Amino acid sequence: MEKKLGTYSLVASIATSIVIVLLFYILAASKVSINPQMYKPIDIYAGMVYVFVLSMIVSASIWPGIIEKKLKG
Amino acid sequence: MDDVIIKIRGMMCGHCEKTVTEAAKSVKGVTKASSDFNKGEAKVSFDSSITTLETIKKAIIDAGYEVMEEDETCPLLLKPAIIEPRAKVVDKVGGIKKNSIKITGMTCASCAQNIEKALNKIDGVIKASVNFSFEKAVVEYDSSKVSTADLENAITSLGYGVAKSEVTLKVGLMHCASCALNIETALKKTPGIKSVNVSFPLERAKIAYDPEFISVQDIIKVIESVGYTASEKLEKSDADREQRAREEEIKRQKINLIIALVLAIPISLGDMGRNLGWTFVPDFLKNDYLLFVLATIVMLFPGRQFFEGTYKGLKHGVTDMNLLIATGTGAAYLVSVAATFLDLGEAYKHTYYDTAALLIMFIVLGRYLEALTKGKTSEAIRKLMGLAAKTARIMVNGEEKEILVENVKINDIVIVRPGEKIPVDGKVIDGLTAVDESMITGESIPVEKAVGAEVIGATMNKTGMIKFTATKVGSDTALAQIIKLVEDAQTQKAPIQKLADIVAGHFILAVHVLALLTFFFWFFVGFEKFNVPSTFGMGMVSPFLFSLLISITVLIISCPCAVGLATPIAIMVGTGKGAQNGILIKGGEVLEKAQKLDTIVFDKTGTLTRGEPALTDVIAVKGSENEVLKLAAIAEKGSEHPLGEAILKGAKSRGIDVPDAESFKAIPGRGVEVKYGGNRVLIGTRKLMTENGMDVTPLIGKLEELEYNGKTAMLVAENNKIAGIVAAADTLKENSREAVAELHKMGFSVAMITGDNKRTAEAIAKQVGIDRVLSEVLPEDKAAQIKKLQAEGQKVAMVGDGINDAPALTQSDVGIAIGSGTDVAIESAQIVLIKNDVRDVEKAIRLSKLTLRKIKQNLFWAFFYNSVGIPIAMGILYPFTNPPYLINPALAAAAMAASSVTVTMNTLFMKRIKLQE
Repeated sequence: MEKKLGTYSLVASIATSIVIVLLFYILAASKVSINPQMYKPIDIYAGMVYVFVLSMIVSASIWPGIIEKKLKG
Repeated sequence: MDDVIIKIRGMMCGHCEKTVTEAAKSVKGVTKASSDFNKGEAKVSFDSSITTLETIKKAIIDAGYEVMEEDETCPLLLKPAIIEPRAKVVDKVGGIKKNSIKITGMTCASCAQNIEKALNKIDGVIKASVNFSFEKAVVEYDSSKVSTADLENAITSLGYGVAKSEVTLKVGLMHCASCALNIETALKKTPGIKSVNVSFPLERAKIAYDPEFISVQDIIKVIESVGYTASEKLEKSDADREQRAREEEIKRQKINLIIALVLAIPISLGDMGRNLGWTFVPDFLKNDYLLFVLATIVMLFPGRQFFEGTYKGLKHGVTDMNLLIATGTGAAYLVSVAATFLDLGEAYKHTYYDTAALLIMFIVLGRYLEALTKGKTSEAIRKLMGLAAKTARIMVNGEEKEILVENVKINDIVIVRPGEKIPVDGKVIDGLTAVDESMITGESIPVEKAVGAEVIGATMNKTGMIKFTATKVGSDTALAQIIKLVEDAQTQKAPIQKLADIVAGHFILAVHVLALLTFFFWFFVGFEKFNVPSTFGMGMVSPFLFSLLISITVLIISCPCAVGLATPIAIMVGTGKGAQNGILIKGGEVLEKAQKLDTIVFDKTGTLTRGEPALTDVIAVKGSENEVLKLAAIAEKGSEHPLGEAILKGAKSRGIDVPDAESFKAIPGRGVEVKYGGNRVLIGTRKLMTENGMDVTPLIGKLEELEYNGKTAMLVAENNKIAGIVAAADTLKENSREAVAELHKMGFSVAMITGDNKRTAEAIAKQVGIDRVLSEVLPEDKAAQIKKLQAEGQKVAMVGDGINDAPALTQSDVGIAIGSGTDVAIESAQIVLIKNDVRDVEKAIRLSKLTLRKIKQNLFWAFFYNSVGIPIAMGILYPFTNPPYLINPALAAAAMAASSVTVTMNTLFMKRIKLQE
């Protein structure tokens, strides 16, 4: 149960973080295309790393509780 | 020959026992009689051919006592077992145990929450409560399902430490390193030993053990059994251990602070000097590589604790304060490293080493100050622990021997010289002295102790040498009980803390969500909309770096510590202050209940009154008052009856010389007859006088008036002529009137509950200034009376001292037991006043109000700080101020450190406030 919870939580957290990072990427890429003077590709890549770290922290705090409830039925 | 047990009501003392026994023996045919006032019975052997049981009973009734029918039970609740104590029993039947575990390594309230959650998840744990400021977990668990080791493992697996009981022993007769190994092997095999480290060159053995399983004496025996000697060093007390741990923490944070401070100054000068073009800063300080090296040292040494804490937490899926700091400083550092070593374009030339270094410096400063102030909050309990004597001098085979206080056993004869501490609780068997009990009771005047008096361990013997029998040792002593009570109280949570716990529990997550949203907002919207490239005063900046700075500031400024600390720290200081003043408050819940009180009900006997009679009136019919009193005192000099003692004391206090009588004869149920100077002196009841042919009719009115007012009136006669009347009554304690007046001033309605008749009760209530009297209340009805008051919508505090008060103490909203009270009363009460002073009721209520006020103030400041600080850190003022305002991350770190220090300092002000106005 503990192992399952850990695995499911990790997968869910990574998946959530990737979704958020993708969302960031799409929005940032559109910004770069609209205003290339202000937004550079390096902003997108650095931003993606930071967003991933914060998203992982947030989702890793939320998912275990939800999954534990689901597993317990 | 018949043997019977006669149940008797009304016996109050040894004198009554004697009277009943003599009354029974006075019946012809009674061969043996004895009585026991504690049991309320007399055992009589009689010859049924000479007398009957009824005759014996009549003799006892004539002596002034009531004989109960066989099936009749005493209305007094004599057995404590009947009463259900409010406090939880430590060891319950069925394997339910309560254990407290000292935890190390917690850095904020979230840590406490994490541990609490983990413990509560364990199968077999009924309830776990973790107090951050007290660094302690109290766990109620089913010992058949879970062991102490499991609980400790759960804590250590989360990355926190468990402080164990440790002892360092001096080991003798070791010849080589293998001797040390032998001892280690022997001890490791012994149940209850957690770890052993024996040093041959130092001749020391450091042992961590579980005191539930093994004592220090048993450890010594194990070492001796393998052929070595061992003795205890005096450094194992809890107080010493805690003090050492705290000093180590202070030292560690001090070193961290010095390193951070020394490096942060050149880093800030160099980084800011370069970015802002400060010419006074030497060029070498502006070098990126030098700044990188200096900042890396800061991150590796003072900053390491945050990353280690984050790693340990994340490994076990928990987040705490360290994560916020690690994310913030880590991001600033990594961005700067990237700018130093990579060419990322013009906007990325800026480094933020100063931000990372200053953040760590301010947070370490906060932790250092917190370690200093946290030590002060638990000062009270440490002082109490430090009160215990280290050694005791006992008599062994007629010789004095000095031993460790832990080794004193019950019934040991202990000798204490003037100026020495009394090591354990006991009863004086020889000597006379004055003892300073102020450390336990708060009473500054030394108390005289003669043979038969009880002495309390940890108090100071002042004037004479005494010998006493040890009655309570180890964890049973009054001091140990007080420490336990205060510790338990400090670990309990107040209902008001629930809100703080909910907030603190989700705080870290909420702050990260806010930091993420802030980053998104400034990256996609704010940066362009508020034209940051031209309005930001720090030169060229990229959208990422700008948004990152604001996001980091949000992480850094948030302070769950202040929220988490607000309540427990105030309870800790409040209960500690109470303990130092002789007021024991059993937990945070009581503090809140005490705020809502509007009625204080006092038990009369022993609480408002002294519980022992004193001379109140002397009326002379013949001669002067002093002459009448002298006659009465001479007659009562040989008497052991409390009324006799009251008369004798009264005469002595008036400076009357009381010579011995020539003969003394007690007349059971009537009074006393003595011969003095050839005269026959009688003192006693109306019946005694009429039986001796005297007419008492002219004095009936006066006698009735005295009795009306609750006094016991006795007639005094000389040579068959009435000389006068003396009266005695239970008198008010000297502070009762003042206590009631103070409570009135505070707006409380004050009531008195008593079994006395209405008129007597009202007379006493009038003297003391009480507005409501609950009279003629049987002991078992006291709780019902309290319930009745509560049904009227009143919030009631009951103040009492006896076993019979226990149900009422339990029924009341706040039960207050006064120190001279019985164990059951103390257990049933939520506030215990160690001193026998009713004025402490008002002090206890004041202290409760003060503590709750501090809790509210702390919570207000903690929430206020976060709710103002976080929006400003998010850049809410940027669009509305000119030039645009943003909090610097370093300033945010300073503010964050200041917030928890402010809460602690605000609480510490409580220590200066006097409880009495």
